[in-house]
Amino acid sequence: MEKFIDRLIRDFESGRLGRREFCQMLGIASAIFAAGGPEANAAPAGRGFKALGINHVSYLCPDYTKARDFYSSTFGMQVTNDKGKGRANLAFGPGPDKGGNFLVVHNPGANPPKPTEALIDHVCYTISNWDEGKVRGALKAKGFDAPTGRDGSLHVYDPFDYDVQFANAVQENAFRRGA
Amino acid sequence: MESFYATKLDEFAQGKISRRALLETLTVAATTTAATSAASAPASDPALKIQLVNHISYNCPDFKKGADWYSKVFNLDQVGATKIDVALPFGKKGEKPFGVTANDVPLSSLIIRSRDLNAPPQGGGAPRRKSRALIEHMGYTVADFDRERAKAELKSLGVENVRDGGLYSLHMTDAYGYDVQISGVANNALTDGA
Repeated sequence: MEKFIDRLIRDFESGRLGRREFCQMLGIASAIFAAGGPEANAAPAGRGFKALGINHVSYLCPDYTKARDFYSSTFGMQVTNDKGKGRANLAFGPGPDKGGNFLVVHNPGANPPKPTEALIDHVCYTISNWDEGKVRGALKAKGFDAPTGRDGSLHVYDPFDYDVQFANAVQENAFRRGA
Repeated sequence: MESFYATKLDEFAQGKISRRALLETLTVAATTTAATSAASAPASDPALKIQLVNHISYNCPDFKKGADWYSKVFNLDQVGATKIDVALPFGKKGEKPFGVTANDVPLSSLIIRSRDLNAPPQGGGAPRRKSRALIEHMGYTVADFDRERAKAELKSLGVENVRDGGLYSLHMTDAYGYDVQISGVANNALTDGA
């Protein structure tokens, strides 16, 4: 923590960080320190990094407001940092500073991403306390009459035809593959 | 607590306290304060409320090459391999995801695949739609993130195109040139893009 604050002071001294940002960042860091537990502060073991999980998914689309409204109204993601400037963060899971994930929905920027040989063809989300009848009923109420997939693991398309999967811990679990 | 930080910062700016005193005071204050800023979004229907990313389906020409890069950089185990894919969970069997207390939320994982996305679906059904959206990069949270130390580590691992991503993260490209970002928990929904 001392090292982190030292860096913050350096950024403040050099003008890279304003007074307000300094206080906000320190407030967040303090909360993280208090709540993060040993994992967040543990040194990585050996080479490489100790990955704690997904931080965010950066979703590029023609109109971020449509994506924002879809993911918040359908899946209960919380809209943050929407300044009406072409992007918003949609938070879900644990608190933002406690390991929560977020989806960054944004419009194209000035520089389009370079094409690569890799592609993330879908994202699957976990729903806790899965109730098949309630899940399917809620989907139907949202206009999704025929989700694909199977009980406990369903797919729909979002407004930009991106494949969205959501599942329970039994049907989609890395340690149960092939079980 | 932020007003306390502001007061101390002002005292430092006015020369009333030294840099060392500022650092020590803020360190003590920050590490003894249990502030919280958890957000809880009301779901439109609780039955569909998402808890966490379950998995990211990453498709590439050679899933073994792709998976080995993520195993090397993030120390991820490879489990449940098939002829076309393998899963890389963010943790060990029996562990809970970071920050999660519920018992029915599994560890998030990467599923690295090599498959033809244009192939007709097994058992019939409509072909996959062509999406107008793109996941153009992924951000991962790592423990004890320090940007300069992370840069050195990535360099020693032979990771390419490492560059700064704002104040508190780094970007790089993976084995297939895909954009990957790493940060500590300080990069979150409240701070990213703020």
